[in-house]
Amino acid sequence: MKYTIDELVNRDASLISRRCWTDPAVYKLEKRGIFGRAWLFLGHESQIRRPGDFVQAYMCETPIILSRGENGQLYANINSCSHRGLPVCRADHGNTKRFICPYHNWSYTVEGALATIPQESALRNKPDKRLLGLKPVPRIASWRGLVFGSFDPDIMPLEDYLGDMRFYLDAFLDRFPQGIEFMGAPHRWVLDANWKLPVENQLGDVNHGAFLHSAIIPREAQDLIEELGYSVVTTPGHGATFRLMPEDAPVDDVAWGMEGMGGMFGGAEVQDYLREVQARAAERVGPLRARMKGLTYGIYPNLSFLWSNASFKVSHPRGPGRVEYWSWAVVPADAPAAVKRLLRTNYSSFFGPGGMLEQEDSEVWVQQFRGSNIDFADDRPYFYGLGLGEEGPHPELPGQVSVTANEFYARHFFTRWRDELQAVERAS
Amino acid sequence: MTAAAVRTSPEQQRDLEAFYYMEARLLDNRLYRQWLALLSPDIQYLLPARVNAQVDNRERGTEQMISVERELEGGDSMGCPIREESYIHLMVRVERAFKINSWSENPPARTRRIVGNVELMSSGSEEYSVVSNFHLYYSRPGSASFLYSGQRRDVLLPAGEGYQLRRREVIMDYADIALPTLGLLF
Repeated sequence: MKYTIDELVNRDASLISRRCWTDPAVYKLEKRGIFGRAWLFLGHESQIRRPGDFVQAYMCETPIILSRGENGQLYANINSCSHRGLPVCRADHGNTKRFICPYHNWSYTVEGALATIPQESALRNKPDKRLLGLKPVPRIASWRGLVFGSFDPDIMPLEDYLGDMRFYLDAFLDRFPQGIEFMGAPHRWVLDANWKLPVENQLGDVNHGAFLHSAIIPREAQDLIEELGYSVVTTPGHGATFRLMPEDAPVDDVAWGMEGMGGMFGGAEVQDYLREVQARAAERVGPLRARMKGLTYGIYPNLSFLWSNASFKVSHPRGPGRVEYWSWAVVPADAPAAVKRLLRTNYSSFFGPGGMLEQEDSEVWVQQFRGSNIDFADDRPYFYGLGLGEEGPHPELPGQVSVTANEFYARHFFTRWRDELQAVERAS
Repeated sequence: MTAAAVRTSPEQQRDLEAFYYMEARLLDNRLYRQWLALLSPDIQYLLPARVNAQVDNRERGTEQMISVERELEGGDSMGCPIREESYIHLMVRVERAFKINSWSENPPARTRRIVGNVELMSSGSEEYSVVSNFHLYYSRPGSASFLYSGQRRDVLLPAGEGYQLRRREVIMDYADIALPTLGLLF
């Protein structure tokens, strides 16, 4: 690398170099400085309810098994055999007593301990199996069922890491009497794009809707979003956008889920369910958050939540120019099965690999990488200065608050990104 | 899925194949509104997600152990299909193609569909269940080209000289989707 990180992101992060997106050396620093040190999303507890349940996850490019142990506790281990490194779990999800490596059948408990080495019966010297379990993820914690892991044993508690983002997350997660659940395996979409652009897109970029998605989103709908919309940054890298509906707004205008395809066209059962949830929202999350109608959320570094279309998403890097983008439909855990099936279409109609809106997003994410990965333009960094300095505190909403057109969410992300990369750059 | 197709007359087989060839030609020539006219208004259009399923030890030695069905998160599952759409969805997709601001299709991708292995699986008094395979070559301006491979499980209704599509389930041959979009008309 012929430059330092401070040459890639200027002081107020209003100018962002193309090399942030494309340089393999920058990507190596991201692994150490960000993915080695952050709380990374692993899954939701609803996916692993019973002892022996497991799902696969990733922390950056490292494969992880998230499981429920026989004692009911959560476990996260690196999915790589201690003998020759093969993945020992190959199903996306399931329930098991043992993970078995196909090569020599070393087997591991669902908690990650090495159970058997079949070959050792023919040998006199027995290895100490206690030292040969799967490598555990050093820290694991959950918030309202969302499970995170960290490779940094000294990381701050998850609650502190999420900080005031909890206020916004809980507006959704606490809205339902039994919280939420994830439906099925994630949709996994591999794109020739950098992992940060999907994150930025879901962190606060509401305003591209009027342009990129103008063939689908009518201008009047977008105007209403922007008129009632707020963009918030709680901690740099964490952000939320949402509408704060007027106090006298009709229940159908405020209720989560009503504006999706399943809510709109699903009939009386789903609509009555959504109205009932909204009727009790103030009691559950307070009058202010009951009026919140979320749009996009981001948890640093790579978890996104799309409230309006009921989806959690993780942007897993696969190198500077490739991303494995995972998404799940999320539904209220207490809803009847038929209602859940309708509500999942609020996600799949517009998002995921078949979604009408996200097919437009994914195309620009790929094109942005192409535009970044060019020569002779390093003197023209990207302009991230829209709305510079226009954010500020709000009497009721925690964090820095502004209109959705202000790109401060992205500047905050890149300020944190720069500082964290500089910390490992200095150390090396 | 049953192993055997039902016996068809050469004429009926030819009619079914002719329907699918016409459909592929309309889609490749971007005559999407004409394609929409082939749909029954109550159409169900499904594209299940396909997962890497855990082997169930109790099913070892059986066809069920490695069946395609157990990999599918379809309409009846409590997983999440990639698409489960009605006529409204398909109409929005079709109309979007004719707008100058549908940026990701502008300029449009070049496609070529090859449809084959057309088999009539059952026929009731009013409906025909037909499976077919497809390869769809897809090339977007300035991007790599992609091959979409899959099976379609259709329910057709007789309509005039030909058929109407009442239900389509698209079984893609991928778990990880390394394709620009599954939002195409398969």
